Amino acid sequence: MLSDPTGSWTPVALSVDLPPGTVVPARTPAGPIALWRSASGRPSASADRCPHRGMRLSHGFVRGETLSCIYHGWSYGAAGNCLRIPAHPGLSPPETIRVATHPVEEAGGVIWVGVGEPATQPPQLAGLVPLRSLQAQAGMAALEAAAGAKADENGLLETTQNSQEIRLLLAFQERDETLIHVLLDGDSSLLERIAVSRAVEALRRKAEAIEAEGSSR
Amino acid sequence: MTQDAMIDEWYPVGLVSQLDSFGRKTALMGEPIDVASDADGNARVTANGRTLPVCVRYGHVWSSLGQPQKELFAIPEADQPGRRFVDVGVVRVRCSPLRAVENFLDIAHFPFVHTDILGSEPHTEVQNYKVEIREDADEVWATQVKFYQPQAARSASGGITTEYMYRVPAPTCSVLYKTCPPRPGEWDVITLFVQPLAEDLCDVWPWMALFDDESSMTDLIHFQQTIFLQDRSILENQIPRLLPLDPGMEIPTRADLTSVAYRRWLKRHGYTYGAQLVAQ
Repeated sequence: MLSDPTGSWTPVALSVDLPPGTVVPARTPAGPIALWRSASGRPSASADRCPHRGMRLSHGFVRGETLSCIYHGWSYGAAGNCLRIPAHPGLSPPETIRVATHPVEEAGGVIWVGVGEPATQPPQLAGLVPLRSLQAQAGMAALEAAAGAKADENGLLETTQNSQEIRLLLAFQERDETLIHVLLDGDSSLLERIAVSRAVEALRRKAEAIEAEGSSR
Repeated sequence: MTQDAMIDEWYPVGLVSQLDSFGRKTALMGEPIDVASDADGNARVTANGRTLPVCVRYGHVWSSLGQPQKELFAIPEADQPGRRFVDVGVVRVRCSPLRAVENFLDIAHFPFVHTDILGSEPHTEVQNYKVEIREDADEVWATQVKFYQPQAARSASGGITTEYMYRVPAPTCSVLYKTCPPRPGEWDVITLFVQPLAEDLCDVWPWMALFDDESSMTDLIHFQQTIFLQDRSILENQIPRLLPLDPGMEIPTRADLTSVAYRRWLKRHGYTYGAQLVAQ
């Protein structure tokens, strides 16, 4: 997470995990969001709550360039304004019906969501490509303890696990939960990818054990 | 929340057909209760050794933590010859009991939640209907509710425009009257009896009194359980979990007038167990 006085960016998901026409739940330090990609490929992030009846929008569906709530089909554009209320097909929804949205930047295979109004762009991960994401039931501190290294201000952590060099991009989820994105050199071989993936799984187990031990004391 | 006006209401706590002497351990508004049959086979409900009021009606055992001021609401159709009475069973839902009732009163979700059963696109429009709080009976009523349904009931073949009437005779109960495909002129009765286990947890006991000589009991039960399980996927994902009674938190439209009347009626009576008020 990159912070500046006006806001911060969170790496919420990998591009490959959000195909066109889908919506998924994601988290920022400001709370849950519905992360979706339109049919034409544009990623958007909105509050994960339909203002009509409070249903989670991440359970909804994407058609064309809109996100719809699964409960009553109210649909929203990328700017968060309500475009259609199916129960009243002839009605143009007033401007006041809208969901809060967040800025989204996509670079190098990572989707970043802004909280607040960050004045800077999300960090560039030059030369690195994402391999996969995994969720750890462990906080940042437990992960850093397991890795024997600290994450930098962007959430980037470099360490060696089972004599395998690994680079992780960490995103805060909750106090005891962290989203891990595994990064690799762009020219890594298949065997290297498999080895890194396994090394990160081992690191996750180690961090989760540290977390569990800490919370049971 | 035990000062709530809802304490003196009747609530369903189990099926009569499943009563036994061993008893069923359950809960009512946060208090553990035991529902059993006594030596004479009568229903007996106790909370911590204290015997609670009991009545047996509409296939269910009803009880109350307080002192009910009136008898359980009447459903005249329950005594009508020729109807089949269906104990659908129980669906546990992690939501406010009031949200469960409000969802039952809603038709606009049919095409999206009960797709190709109770509704389907592009037939999404909710036409104007009538809503009133009937002062004499002290009930919420919605009438002249019409909706196009691909398969309105187990007994329906092909799509029809179904007419509905809803009534809310108690804070966690609703009775739905619905076009009866095999017998025009009569109404099928489908009820939603909700047992409040806690403010954000409930057991939903649907019950039906139908004109349907064709479908097997299993099919009738499966049809309703399919519907209620689809509803559960919504109810467990609404934020907040409690029903907001004050305006501002949610945006109603013309299609939601039954919900608006239900919320107003709850607030007027101080029925706030499972509700969220701005003051809180």
